[in-house]
Amino acid sequence: MLSDEVPESLHHDVAAYALGVLDPEDIQGFQLHLVSCERCRIELNEFGELPGLLNEVKSASQRVRP
Amino acid sequence: MWLVRRQLDTRFERLDPEDDPDRDDRLIRELYQEFGGPLLRQVRQTTGNDLQWAEDVVQETLLRAWRNAAKLTWERGLLWAWLLTVSRRIVIDGRRRRGVRPREVEPPEADSIAVPDAADRTLAAIVVADALRGLSPDHREVIEQTYLRDRTVSEAAEILGIPPGTVKSRLYYALRALRGVLKERGVAN
Repeated sequence: MLSDEVPESLHHDVAAYALGVLDPEDIQGFQLHLVSCERCRIELNEFGELPGLLNEVKSASQRVRP
Repeated sequence: MWLVRRQLDTRFERLDPEDDPDRDDRLIRELYQEFGGPLLRQVRQTTGNDLQWAEDVVQETLLRAWRNAAKLTWERGLLWAWLLTVSRRIVIDGRRRRGVRPREVEPPEADSIAVPDAADRTLAAIVVADALRGLSPDHREVIEQTYLRDRTVSEAAEILGIPPGTVKSRLYYALRALRGVLKERGVAN
């Protein structure tokens, strides 16, 4: 399947994948999509530092709200 | 390093294991060198700073990467996302086995992203908390109910009472918005 035939919603999975919160049954399908989708590979790289940055807030909020 | 880079760069080319009997050893050592430290820091966030557990998770994750080496032929950022996904999955499964639920279900609150206390006021923490508060409530909510609470998309969907597809789409636009703000403020590249 060409990447432009893929429903827009599949491209949106990149965000959940970047954060590691995609459900296990969706992971393989998305990884297959990733191989052929330049757009998602670029966005995955762009989202790459967000987990680390969000951890800054997460660890702070865990200390405040045990 | 060299081997990882070669793996990443030559997407369809595979090294024949017969050619190099030390290849497996080198690959796993290079995975550790390249990703071991950063991965451990990430995983510790989700194991409640249980270092032993976090080290086990990192080991298992890199072992799975090694087992899938032939398929792991993407560039660094993609391999990193793969490792992150797999490690979080291992933590979530481990937590279920231990019968520990992440945290009790709480109604989403607009203001529940804590302001870091004075002792921990790293610049990044302040800027990120501020950026999150500047997002639309829908966007802030999906980031909080998934990543910040260690929940998968479908778990968050159940709590929020919206379809998983909606969670994923909101998360997508939320991350784009968040990244845009963080970039503007010089925290993200």
